[in-house]
Amino acid sequence: MQFGIFTVGDVTPDPTTGRTPTERERIKAMVAIALKAEEVGLDVFATGEHHNPPFVPSSPTTMLGYVAARTERLVLSTSTTLITTNDPVKIAEDFAMLQHLADGRVDLMMGRGNTGPVYPWFGKDIREGINLAVENYNLLHRLWREDVVNWEGKFRTPLQGFTSTPRPLDGVAPFVWHGSIRSPEIAEQAAYYGDGFFHNNIFWPADHTKRMIELYRARYAHYGHGTPEQAIVGLGGQVFMRKNSQDAVREFRPYFDNAPVYGHGPSLEDFTAQTPLTVGSPQQVIEKTLAFRDYAGDYQRQLFLMDHAGLPLKTVLEQLDLLGEEVVPVLREEFAKNRPANVPDAPTHASLLAAKAADQEKQDKQDKQEKEGARA
Amino acid sequence: MKLVVVSAGLSVPSSTRLLADRLAAVAAPAATAPEPAPADVRVVELRDLAVEIAHTFTNGFPAPALADAFAEVAAADGLIVVTPVFSASYSGLFKSFFDALSVTDEDALTGKPVLIAATGGTARHSLVLEHALRPLFAYLKAVVVPTGVYAASEDWGAEGLDARIERAGAELAALMAGLTTPSKGRTPSPKRDSFEEVTPFAQRLAALGVPGPSPAP
Repeated sequence: MQFGIFTVGDVTPDPTTGRTPTERERIKAMVAIALKAEEVGLDVFATGEHHNPPFVPSSPTTMLGYVAARTERLVLSTSTTLITTNDPVKIAEDFAMLQHLADGRVDLMMGRGNTGPVYPWFGKDIREGINLAVENYNLLHRLWREDVVNWEGKFRTPLQGFTSTPRPLDGVAPFVWHGSIRSPEIAEQAAYYGDGFFHNNIFWPADHTKRMIELYRARYAHYGHGTPEQAIVGLGGQVFMRKNSQDAVREFRPYFDNAPVYGHGPSLEDFTAQTPLTVGSPQQVIEKTLAFRDYAGDYQRQLFLMDHAGLPLKTVLEQLDLLGEEVVPVLREEFAKNRPANVPDAPTHASLLAAKAADQEKQDKQDKQEKEGARA
Repeated sequence: MKLVVVSAGLSVPSSTRLLADRLAAVAAPAATAPEPAPADVRVVELRDLAVEIAHTFTNGFPAPALADAFAEVAAADGLIVVTPVFSASYSGLFKSFFDALSVTDEDALTGKPVLIAATGGTARHSLVLEHALRPLFAYLKAVVVPTGVYAASEDWGAEGLDARIERAGAELAALMAGLTTPSKGRTPSPKRDSFEEVTPFAQRLAALGVPGPSPAP
């Protein structure tokens, strides 16, 4: 199972000091957080994509390429890449380029984006959001798998004899997750292609998350990619920890109360009771995260949101130390217990390459047999 | 048969709730007649849910008690909705409840018989039913009964309110019975469940004229 962090990339004033970091400070902080993730033994770093203030990450592959050059093991991903408003051709090119630079340590998560004006800014119609996700991803899927693509669709200029370069590393497309909070259509899309499904459950009650994942698992099996238990599931999480849980609550409360998403709304106590947010000791985080399996089944990827709401970099790095030293090792051990042997790990470049080689070998053998059969 | 009453009265006791109860007392037995047992009546007092309603807008999802109320409303065969008049319209709390409901479940009221009613300090606001409540529930695709009931302070001591309550309650009951009796060839629109009725993906691709995915490499 993979553990990692995902960042929104918001520039938010620290409510305890009133100070707002500069864009440069925030961008550098995101990089420092990514490097720290590798240092403390996490597996994945994912960045959001936004095209409006107060967010900075408009150019994810630029940032991930820089992180790739300074890390050895970390898988670089997104949370999410806008499949609606980006040109699928540019996504194909950017992420294939990143794959080569990062020696395959790349996957990505498709999302539609939830900021209305981004659609018109990029010449798109938000009412076509689902259809854009469907058509654009279909093209992206082909661009990584077919050397020469002839294509015509509704939302983009046609392609005749187009080759997206560079070709994916070793001829293996980056693994794709589809992220959606409330659209069953996207769970269906992920299932159709046999891709991963990520539910960012951090602001949602468990029963909603459960229904989305059950739908994805059932449809994954329906499309013949494996059993429902073998579908590739990722979940979000949101935590703030101190050794002593009272210290965690006291320190995090002003950030919670003023957070851009849920600030000035529910109480910290209500929100932690109703959503995956955990503010407390590492042990409490372990217990709450392990309980995700009760409604999501054995899953493949757990990403935590650690650096939002104006938390200073120093605090976030301390949080990552706690996550890497005290939480994730226990989670790895506990999640491995009673995990059925047929539940796969999240696909990586190495595993996809091996699967491709195995398929090729099988195909060669079949061809050979057919040839011999024809001769006899 | 299930009748749900949504009351946005704020004081205790409230004339809004009083009107709601009188409407329910007429509609509940009439909806099931000639069966002796009246329709089950469940009252949703918005005052008790005010904070959870506000939090639905800040959180994006309803807290447990509000989610229960939404489920009651969605499962109802008929609704009685009553609001006090504030600033020449329904109260903000009343509107917020239905805003939060439709964000959570946009089809919750589709095809549902709804009796609209309001209370106010003066009869001058009686058309609030026609210029505020009726368009709101029309937008939410409810079937609004023809008679709405407005009760000004003076109506509680005058003739006429009884007759309007009787007529409106009977109209709601007739719609509830009519929309739920298969012998009349009408059944309530089945609750759409987007999780159980997901459109097969190939259909979505076909609608866009896009061929299926390439074979795996």
